[in-house]
Amino acid sequence: MKWVYLAFKNLVRRRTRTTLTVLGVAIAIAVLYSLFQFQRGYQSRLKDELGALGAHVLVVPKGCPYEAATIALHGGKWPRYMDEGLLDKVQKNPGVAQAAGVIMDAVFLPDGRNVILLGIDEEYAKLRPAWKLRGNWFESDSSVILGTSAADEAGVGPGDEWTIPGRDVTLKVSAVLERTKTQDDGFVFLPRRTLQGIFGLEGKLVTILIKARNVDRTDELVASLRADEVDMNVFPLTELLNTIGDLMASTRVFVSAVIVIALIIGTVGVLNTVLMAVFERTREIGMMKAMGGSRSDIFRLVWAETMLTTLAGGLVGVAVAIASSRLVEAFIRGMIPFAPEGSLIGFSLPTLAACVGLSLALGLFAGFYPAWRASGVRPVEAIKAD
Amino acid sequence: MTERVEPSDGTCVPAEQGAKGPRGQAEGTPDEGKGQSSEVRTGKSGLVVEAKGLTRVYRRGAERIRALKGIDLGIRPGEFLGLVGHSGAGKTTLLNLVGLMDHPTEGRLSVLGHDVSSRRRRMDALRRENIGFVFQEFYLISTLTALENVLLPGMWGGADGNSKDRARHLLERVGLGRRMTHRPSELSGGEMQRVAVARALVHEPKLLLADEPTGNLDTRTRDDIFALLKELNEKEGLTVVVTTHDRGLEDRFGRIVRLEDGSVVG
Repeated sequence: MKWVYLAFKNLVRRRTRTTLTVLGVAIAIAVLYSLFQFQRGYQSRLKDELGALGAHVLVVPKGCPYEAATIALHGGKWPRYMDEGLLDKVQKNPGVAQAAGVIMDAVFLPDGRNVILLGIDEEYAKLRPAWKLRGNWFESDSSVILGTSAADEAGVGPGDEWTIPGRDVTLKVSAVLERTKTQDDGFVFLPRRTLQGIFGLEGKLVTILIKARNVDRTDELVASLRADEVDMNVFPLTELLNTIGDLMASTRVFVSAVIVIALIIGTVGVLNTVLMAVFERTREIGMMKAMGGSRSDIFRLVWAETMLTTLAGGLVGVAVAIASSRLVEAFIRGMIPFAPEGSLIGFSLPTLAACVGLSLALGLFAGFYPAWRASGVRPVEAIKAD
Repeated sequence: MTERVEPSDGTCVPAEQGAKGPRGQAEGTPDEGKGQSSEVRTGKSGLVVEAKGLTRVYRRGAERIRALKGIDLGIRPGEFLGLVGHSGAGKTTLLNLVGLMDHPTEGRLSVLGHDVSSRRRRMDALRRENIGFVFQEFYLISTLTALENVLLPGMWGGADGNSKDRARHLLERVGLGRRMTHRPSELSGGEMQRVAVARALVHEPKLLLADEPTGNLDTRTRDDIFALLKELNEKEGLTVVVTTHDRGLEDRFGRIVRLEDGSVVG
């Protein structure tokens, strides 16, 4: 029989207490895992989304830059527009390799969903070299290209007709995008002039996506664009990434503080539980010492019991976090102004290892004092004084 | 060896002579070796335990309590000794000292040929290898089976490959061959104490100490457990020391040391 087996059996003996202790640790670790993973997932997905834009600089109308980022990345209806004439000015800037003007609008369905429409031209397609079309580019002004999710939802394919919901406008599906795993999958693309005409937005743009001629000189390009025109906001995407990253970092500090407090409370809770168990088992521990258990044997046993408890808490916590990731993600998305598409809290071996390591460290800290107290019990405690 | 130990009541116990059992049989003599006693290490006096002027004083706040007052005692190999007396007489204190679980305040104590009087000396290994304990409260781990409970002492310091066989054999020896996989909650009080006896013997001790081993048992079970201890002493030559305040058991010991108020009175 091994002492780890005995440690396990000792925990089983006090099922309710052990379960509650494991649960306490599990909650702290689940929150920790979700936060770690959300931070990692957020940064990673944000980079992917910005990368998928195929641009280095984003030009948007004056206003909140985070709103602008949301619109640029996720699409939507935003009552701020730029004059289409700005696109010519931008294209003439010697630092600009390519510039694509985009107009957007959205149609809201009675069930709460929305259909996001983007008015684009061939310049936009050049920023998307990875796009693969099932069908052809816009064959006429009344053509439409659907992202794969949008096409699935509408139940249409190349050659079919598609009507803009709520509008008496029917367009011919010239192509369906093969899955890109980006926000493009949910969009409906129309020729820019067509969309401007349908929604009465002639001569207006929501975004200009710019690909720099020299990526290393993006800052100079941004400075020159800002100097040329005051009616637009110009963002290098790296800056946008950093700005959003900074915003997330400030929330991370706050949430981390909450987590640290939760872990301290968890540690004290575990310490208290194990210490109470040691006090209750004084005579039994005395018996073990009378039977030959040394100070280090008893120390090791109690420490192992604590670490088994916190390890179980860690594993349960990670499992709970993964199982409830959709729910937690939806909750966090509702709390922050902008979040990238796709799964943010998923399985990650490094995060899992970090959380399990932390739960073991918690056990090491919480178990030390009770183990030390237990190891000091004298064997004579096993015999009731007469 | 002719050294004599003089108990505090003045009665001399010759070390070379076996104490007489209730039936007048000599116990613990070398020719009766029976495995255990022949291997027992003793002091120059030939005694397993030799105490002279043993005193134990406890402090309770400002108060000093003299639990033992200059006890002299000699225990021979293979002896079946009863430490009897009322509650508070000092028998458990004496058992703690003999069992190397406590140190005397004054006096000299030798156990299995080792001078253990000094507080500085660590006794863990000596106790682990040579002494078995049976307690009034059985202290069985409720989630372990009878067999696992018996194996418990072997866990410390690493059990050898034979310990499981020995544990099985001991459970059969105490009449629990068919109850090995039962947990304590499935055993009666007497059966639990039998498991505790087997546990005390698994590491083949030279000295078995039992503190009120029948204190929590009914009369019939008490007699069964006592008969088991007696049998271990008689058939295997194991030195057994039992504390009890049960006067009904006194005539079953090979020898009795009666304690009263920290002194030997008979």
